[in-house]
Amino acid sequence: MTASATPAITTRGLVKRYGSRTALHGIDLDIARGNVFGVIGPNGAGKTTTMRLLLDIIRPSGGELRVLGESPRSGGAALRQRIGYLPGELHLATRARGRDFLAHYAEISGPVRLGVVDSLAERLGLELGRPVRSLSKGNKQKLGLVQAFMHEPELLVLDEPTSGLDPLVQQEFLTMLREAKERGQTVFLSSHVLSEIQQAADEVAVLRAGRIVQVSTVAQLRESAVRRVRVVVPEPSAALVADTLERLPGITGVRRVADRPRAAAFEAQLDAHVDTFVKAVGRHELIDLTIEEPELEQAVLGLYNGAGGER
Amino acid sequence: MSRVLPLFRRSLADSWRGLLGWTAGVAAALLLYLPLYPSLGGGGQLQSMIDSMPPELVKTLGYDAIGTGAGYAQSTFFALVGFVLLTIAGVGWGTGAIANDEENGQLELTIAHGVSRGQVLAERSAAVLVKLAWLGLVAVVLVAVLNGPSELDIQFGALVATAAALVGLTALSASASIMVGAVSGRRSWALGAGAGVAVLGYVSNAIGNQTDDLAWLHDWSPYSWAFAGDPLTNGWDWQMWMLLAGVALFLVVGWLVFRRRDLTV
Repeated sequence: MTASATPAITTRGLVKRYGSRTALHGIDLDIARGNVFGVIGPNGAGKTTTMRLLLDIIRPSGGELRVLGESPRSGGAALRQRIGYLPGELHLATRARGRDFLAHYAEISGPVRLGVVDSLAERLGLELGRPVRSLSKGNKQKLGLVQAFMHEPELLVLDEPTSGLDPLVQQEFLTMLREAKERGQTVFLSSHVLSEIQQAADEVAVLRAGRIVQVSTVAQLRESAVRRVRVVVPEPSAALVADTLERLPGITGVRRVADRPRAAAFEAQLDAHVDTFVKAVGRHELIDLTIEEPELEQAVLGLYNGAGGER
Repeated sequence: MSRVLPLFRRSLADSWRGLLGWTAGVAAALLLYLPLYPSLGGGGQLQSMIDSMPPELVKTLGYDAIGTGAGYAQSTFFALVGFVLLTIAGVGWGTGAIANDEENGQLELTIAHGVSRGQVLAERSAAVLVKLAWLGLVAVVLVAVLNGPSELDIQFGALVATAAALVGLTALSASASIMVGAVSGRRSWALGAGAGVAVLGYVSNAIGNQTDDLAWLHDWSPYSWAFAGDPLTNGWDWQMWMLLAGVALFLVVGWLVFRRRDLTV
């Protein structure tokens, strides 16, 4: 693995149009070597389009694109040998057995070290002796993962890699990602399974309708996530607490809800100001206090819905 | 990377069952038709039957010279059953080369690996042409074997020329399918293009046979380029090279567009 200084992926104003429909409206991305970079977004956001551009399966309508320091167009076959790609919709209808299928791609994009295919297949629980087209969706997906990983490429481009995989295999896949990162490989993956991005990725781009809504680290994204909080206080201090909540920074949508007798319950959304919140309500007598763990999902849904992160 | 022509070999390996089937079909056609010749053509029965048919029909089917062994083999196999079999096989393989694979989504994965578009097109086209040539070779071998027993009296050189013409003609249809697949990525268009070349060639040849006024149609019919010179009697004909030129032209046009366009995924 060459630990070169060139970034794994750079795009500037990357545009892709299909006739009158614009799939990507000028994407800027910088993905450093050795990073695991996740991209999330709803269907049709442009995730798959971006990945296909990296592999020269489709060509940009505008903007700049460098993959491992080269343009996918001029880099050609030699560049693609350095990339492992798992398509989002994997269609495999060949009669060839899994082993022969992989041997074919190993010939094209290899070399593949001896034993790598078997060890990957074993880890994922994939049987290589059966005809590819008779495999279940999950097993085809495993085969797709093996062909992407087997030649230990500098860059892995994985479109919805865990779709169709059962939870145990998903865990194994996450381990494979960590190992790839340790070896210095760069990973660019898309997912709608947010927990997967949360566990695997260093950085996340949120894509919506062909635009990047936000690029941040997972930690930052979690910080921008909103937590649901619930405060239960004795009835007499209700007015006081309500007043405190209204004044606090980072608290929105305070509403009083029915709870137990002679008590007042308030629910609200809280952003990153956890410390201020706890200290402020801590001055009152509390019956109960709940802060739910922020879901990345909520943060992302916030980005999908509104413009830029507020709800 | 260890061995040469990976896509070519994969293509053959993926389709050997089909090739076996087509080989059996060609063999069956020859083994059914040719041994009948001594009992039909030799006694002049066939000629008298042909004489009783409407002349337009005879000209359309090209049965004018069915009274000779070469004419019989030409009319029954090379110009008809063999032509149909190899056309269907070639158009099917030609459609499979790019369009079919692209439409069902498998091409995306191959293209994303360490191959160029040109290599994919070239190796898969080569596989189609080799398979058609194989069927031509099967025909040559069987006709040569049956030549004596069936009293056909066909010259070997002329037989090779005729088989080459048949392979060239059907390769033209196949490469039309490859080209349209490479340009559009559409399965139905690729199939239509290959079948269209075959049908138009056959029809314009048949109409051109009817009267001298329409004989100019032969100039535009690949079918005429292959068979108008009666290669099974007369041997090689320069017009056959037009078929090869057509194949080359189709493949180059397909390549020029295929390397530039987006894969339709």
